[in-house]
Amino acid sequence: MASNNEAQGGRPAPATGGGRGRTKKGYPWPHRRVGLVAWWQDHLRTGRETLHFISARLGTSLLVWLLVGIALALPAGLILLQLNLAGMTADWDGRPGLSVYFELNTDAGKVAAIAQRLSERAEIEGVRVTSPEEALAEFQSHADVGDALDLLTENPLPASLRATLVPGSSLLDLELVAGLVEGAPGVSEVVVEKTWLERVIDISRVVSRLGIILGALFGVGAVLVTATSVRLAIEARLEELRVLKLVGATDRQIRRPFMYFGALYGLGGGLVAAMLISLCLVAIETPVSNLLGSYGRDLETPGFDPTFLSGLLLVGAFLGVSGALLAARQRLKDLEIL
Amino acid sequence: MGQIEFHHVTKRFDDGFEALKDVSVDFPEGSMTFLTGHSGAGKSTFLKLLLCADRPSAGQIIVNGVNVRHISARRLAHYRQHIGVVFQDHHLLHHRDVYENVALPLRVAGMRERAVARRVRASLTRVGLLAKERMFPRYLSTGEQQRVGIARAVATRPRILLADEPTGNLDPELSRDIMHVFEQVNQVGTTVIIASHDRDLIESMGLRIIELAHGNIVRDTDREADIGFE
Repeated sequence: MASNNEAQGGRPAPATGGGRGRTKKGYPWPHRRVGLVAWWQDHLRTGRETLHFISARLGTSLLVWLLVGIALALPAGLILLQLNLAGMTADWDGRPGLSVYFELNTDAGKVAAIAQRLSERAEIEGVRVTSPEEALAEFQSHADVGDALDLLTENPLPASLRATLVPGSSLLDLELVAGLVEGAPGVSEVVVEKTWLERVIDISRVVSRLGIILGALFGVGAVLVTATSVRLAIEARLEELRVLKLVGATDRQIRRPFMYFGALYGLGGGLVAAMLISLCLVAIETPVSNLLGSYGRDLETPGFDPTFLSGLLLVGAFLGVSGALLAARQRLKDLEIL
Repeated sequence: MGQIEFHHVTKRFDDGFEALKDVSVDFPEGSMTFLTGHSGAGKSTFLKLLLCADRPSAGQIIVNGVNVRHISARRLAHYRQHIGVVFQDHHLLHHRDVYENVALPLRVAGMRERAVARRVRASLTRVGLLAKERMFPRYLSTGEQQRVGIARAVATRPRILLADEPTGNLDPELSRDIMHVFEQVNQVGTTVIIASHDRDLIESMGLRIIELAHGNIVRDTDREADIGFE
């Protein structure tokens, strides 16, 4: 609707002024805030134009999505692997323990004293002492050595004991207890027993660290890929950007379409990454099932769920927007309007 | 006191060339002025400084009582929203139709689509191109493209309108049409400054003329009586 001024044939209201208000210090004309509806309409139009631009250059866009997707898939795959390894060990009810081997002919009293010291510890659930005689008998029952042992003049086996830790104890507790008996009189060797699951925990830690390192490296890669693509989009629209700046567009308004580019490239990359991970899971399903089956476990992929996928898309969008911001700031900083 | 004041403005480029030398002049609000002179006289530099596309090496440019040097980078965009600009080569976006080209500054200014449509059509009606609002610039004649450029510049109803050689590529008849549009814009209170070297045209308009030569003002028709130019 025309202003009163305009209707009376006088000077119409300026588009951005809304009439002559108080002139602010350091600025010749009053400044009007952009309304929410106009702001929303601008975002809708920008989104629409970005989709149109991307679909008009589908080949290039697919390449960008693939590159960002690969950059995201590897660290995301490692994180997924780490989640699964952590899941495998979370419900582990195995008992870590340690074996103490004594020197030959160690006095039974010393063995009993160490067994007593260990059993008094809160971390220890039980201690079982094996005397040299019991060890020999056990050896005879398991090994097919027949009469060979009868030829020995004395028992070659030392006394030993095995201590098991209470449920919930960690490997740190185990190593602490081992430290208590190492070097004690009569003790020949202390063996900390790790099961395969304990090794899985170690592997899980390695995978976790690797995931973080690769995630950082490939994340930078994804940002650079997006930045390069957005830079090309900026170059293709340089004339338009000059005109926009000329007619008074703010830096934020000029950057806006490229933020959308970045977000769409990142989201697309996240989707590609999810597809690549799915394909990898299908490819390794049979051998991993066989491997886990040998340990009496079923193949599960906890973690590859809607939360993980949403996270992947969000990280993709974040990296894409970061790349776009990087490119836009670099290129538009010194954009000459005339 | 004018709406626009140049106080001892000098513009010296890195290579030492001085495009403007100690220029002092003012433009009252709602005035219409021609800026003339040969190529390289400093006309375009004068307009660029006013648009804050460049900074003076010395002197002050005051707009509405504010030294434009003190306008922050963030507010510079808002400052430009109040200044319409028309170029000899139009600076139209060829992948957008006439309507979209004219709508550009209105959207930048944060207007709603309904208001944008109203302003675009009013502006196109003023330059006689409403029937061609869905055409792309490449299908328009040079004169029509220039009129689209003017429609875009005046759509926001700017306080100041700057035109750099707006009739450079046009025949005399079309040039007069364009000047008539500028007069209409000026009649509603917009300060208009037109840089042109078309002497016949500007002399026939009977308006204020400021002539530049080698960066100096050598003629100002408003001050001829006072200081005896020519």
